[in-house]
Amino acid sequence: MKEIEVALIGNPNVGKSLIFNNLTGGRAHVGNWPGKTVEKKEGRCIHKGVMMRIIDLPGVYSLTAASIDELIARNYIVEERPDVVVDIVDASNLERNLYLTLQLLELEANLVVALNKSDIAEGLRYEIDVKGLSELLGVPVVPTIATVKVGMEELKDAIVEASKRGVKARVRYREDIEELIEGIGDILRRDEGLIKKYPIRWLAIKIIEGDEEVMRLIEERGLMGELREVIG
Amino acid sequence: MRMPLGLAPEDRMVRVVEVRGGRGLIRRLSELGFLKGEWVRVLKSGPSGPALVEVKGSRIALGRGVLMRIIVECVPP
Repeated sequence: MKEIEVALIGNPNVGKSLIFNNLTGGRAHVGNWPGKTVEKKEGRCIHKGVMMRIIDLPGVYSLTAASIDELIARNYIVEERPDVVVDIVDASNLERNLYLTLQLLELEANLVVALNKSDIAEGLRYEIDVKGLSELLGVPVVPTIATVKVGMEELKDAIVEASKRGVKARVRYREDIEELIEGIGDILRRDEGLIKKYPIRWLAIKIIEGDEEVMRLIEERGLMGELREVIG
Repeated sequence: MRMPLGLAPEDRMVRVVEVRGGRGLIRRLSELGFLKGEWVRVLKSGPSGPALVEVKGSRIALGRGVLMRIIVECVPP
């Protein structure tokens, strides 16, 4: 049977664990992330002849390396490259939640967005243009209500679909920033080890942001000198 | 009236006017939702120790040091 790896991610309190339990039937292997006292939950789900290994990542607001939870989530997505990343978003609090979504797009994750708590959003009289949101983000968006298991089949369908399709969405920035990303990317691409391990565009964006963890990596690789010439 | 978030009264909507910190702190707080112009509400606070703050629909605990670096505008009732 075809096996795929699926990671669940989202802000704290979006119903991530509930979706995890709905998908896996509550049968989970619980352990710790290696060397860290942060819980790691793993479960399985078979859908349309595909075996999904589902990994529950810690709830985070962003993917900066600011806390251990964020670092685990980010390293997992960067280094393990799961086939699909399900970003669970609180439909009643879209503005806050979409920040993480954009960071995941920058990371070039193969994204499916679950628009959870759709019932609460409706109760607040929010009308979300699901199709429009999906077009803007360039990834599938599935409305769900995890508490009553609404949208779970559709979510599984979308995951299997996405695993076949691969990544195609990306965030584009202003022209001058794009040029800078390109210039930095050219330098990074000279390092084959980097190409193998990281999305180059993502590294370039993080360098522009001055991300500590990425800067350390660049220093280790001895690319700092050349980079300075581009970023000044 | 302007004051640090650490001195703002509980249960009152106040508006962030400034974060007095370095790049790292400003960035981290903006990721948590503490952006200039954002309305926030102190849920639980005391004379010392951390306080619980509501921002963009989430409750976030902040330490005293950070609370004193977030400057808010508080309108008297």
